Amino acid sequence: MKRPPLAFTLLTCAVPLICPAQAMFRGDAAHTGVSAAAAPRTFHRVKWKFPTGDRIVSSPVLQDGVIYFGSDDGGIYAVEEETGRQLWRHITNGPVCATPAVADGVVFVGSYDGKFYALDAKTGGPKWKFATGGERRFEAKGLHGFLPKNQTIADPFDVFLSSPVVVKGVVYFGSGDGHLYAVDAAAGELRWKFPTGDVVHASPAYADGILYFGSWDSRFYAVDATTGKEKWRFHAGEDPLVHNQVGFQSSPAVVDGVVYTGCRDANVYALDAATGKEKWRFGNEGSWVISSPAVAQGKVYFGTSDSSLYHVVDAATGKPVLRLQGKAYVFSSPVVAGDVVLVGVLNGILEARDVKTGDVLWEFRTETSRRNADWTLTADAKLNGPLIFSSGWREKPLAAADRQFAIGAIFSTPLVAKGVVFVGSTDGAMYALE
Amino acid sequence: MFLFFASLCASDACALPSARWEGRIQIPGRELTLVVDLAQDSTGTWTGSVILPGLGIKGAPLGDLVVKETEASFAIKDSLSAPGFEPARCKTRLTPAGGLNGEFLQGGLSAPFELTRTGAPQVEPPRVSTSIAREFEGEWKGRYELMGYPRDVTLKLSRPTGSAAAAAADFVIVGKKTNQLPVDLLTQTGDFLAIESRAFGITFEARLKKEAGELQGVLTQGPFELPLVLRRSNP
Repeated sequence: MKRPPLAFTLLTCAVPLICPAQAMFRGDAAHTGVSAAAAPRTFHRVKWKFPTGDRIVSSPVLQDGVIYFGSDDGGIYAVEEETGRQLWRHITNGPVCATPAVADGVVFVGSYDGKFYALDAKTGGPKWKFATGGERRFEAKGLHGFLPKNQTIADPFDVFLSSPVVVKGVVYFGSGDGHLYAVDAAAGELRWKFPTGDVVHASPAYADGILYFGSWDSRFYAVDATTGKEKWRFHAGEDPLVHNQVGFQSSPAVVDGVVYTGCRDANVYALDAATGKEKWRFGNEGSWVISSPAVAQGKVYFGTSDSSLYHVVDAATGKPVLRLQGKAYVFSSPVVAGDVVLVGVLNGILEARDVKTGDVLWEFRTETSRRNADWTLTADAKLNGPLIFSSGWREKPLAAADRQFAIGAIFSTPLVAKGVVFVGSTDGAMYALE
Repeated sequence: MFLFFASLCASDACALPSARWEGRIQIPGRELTLVVDLAQDSTGTWTGSVILPGLGIKGAPLGDLVVKETEASFAIKDSLSAPGFEPARCKTRLTPAGGLNGEFLQGGLSAPFELTRTGAPQVEPPRVSTSIAREFEGEWKGRYELMGYPRDVTLKLSRPTGSAAAAAADFVIVGKKTNQLPVDLLTQTGDFLAIESRAFGITFEARLKKEAGELQGVLTQGPFELPLVLRRSNP
């Protein structure tokens, strides 16, 4: 079947060469994960709660008093920062599991319908829509040891879509079709696309004219942002047996000429941004690092999945600074906000930790998590593994993952502004906490 | 205590307030979060919408909404229906404690719910068709192929009297038989036109190319996305 036209531009808008006002995943194009605003050290109340029609794994971004985010109900939302009042909703034909970028009055984000959208930030009206080669989740035969081993199984833990980064009038994002795309932000026309060997759901980081991103083909790439030509690639671990310890789901941060990224091969890597040479690696004993590292004041902050650990390591050497046991998987990315680090956890709890000691200062727990209606969690809010993952046969592991996520899990990366923390949950709500 | 509340409820103070109500439908083994927004305007007319986060429903308009003092009933029409199924319905009553209790009826079954008032109503305005610019008016024709068979499309767009009035569309697709598509939504934003027919699961999104006298776009039907160019049939 012939594919539809790649793009149909609706309205022309003049995007300046350097967009003066931007908001995007991890706060900036380098994806440092450092908030300009400090997070509160105490929690008082839910300021507002905005319900959507399905789970939220997208992260909120803020521009000019408006919070933008996506929902699995297919909506791209604009909500008033102060009140939580809906300003507009644009409906797509698939879950919006990516985080929008806002640049020069335009909201950019992709959907599981395989389209990438540019919308007027004020009205939600369409500017243009760009068709990729289509979305899909990472899949492999006998994935994670599920049965039967010769059957291809889609990965229930491939939860995010690639979040765009906008630089100098070009929007960059990855796709389930295995490409990194560069699309003209004003016209919606393809500049170039860079092929990899598998799904690209990590988000590209940008620094000094280079894009950095990982693919599920277990390669990490550096690509010239202007030409789309490869500068270097780094080969991480492989897992030909059950495809569990393979691929980049974590998005990188680039700071002072070093790229930091987590990997499903259970390592966090520090790579030289100019050459791709490995500076150090931090092993996590088989536990995925899905969370995107935050880098601040010479330290790298990240969480792990199965081992449920909160780590702080020295950015220069990779030596451990803090290693604290958490309660459940961390897929959300830590945000350093003043003297507080915010970490979303899949047990439905948002943790605020002291930046120096790692001590939990306060927690916000979603109501769904508190209710724990089907004992998905233990009494102390750990994942109730024996009850949930009882079998690897038929659709049970997939249903178990869904059940685990439905507890009000926090995949979303928190945003801080004016002492208020915004974060989404799989209970379908965007929360404003103060 | 009961008499105290009973006497309160006899007064206007106990009439159903405009509000957002949140709670859970107690379906056995499957609790569903329910958010209902009910609002009364200055003329006394009630409107409402519903959110069911477990079912992907956000801001679905309430149908057959009837409010009588402390009771309300409504149907969830467009979002929770299928051929052979009656729309899901809710019957609610204000409690002496200020909650909203009721029954959720679907598929011949019923489940209770208890809602609490959580704030001001945020009724989702229904998506409505817009007016169209003059250059979109007229008859447009084109053809696409699906599963090896050609389909001829005729789209007639008209502007009722008054430029602000919603546009009207006559949308016909002729394949093995002639299909008159009911148009639920027709919107124009700049040179972009979008048409939706829910009964057929068809959308057509196109951009007007004035010089070529064409609407160039994509027709979507379920999983199929097909390029479709409609040309003005009477330029």
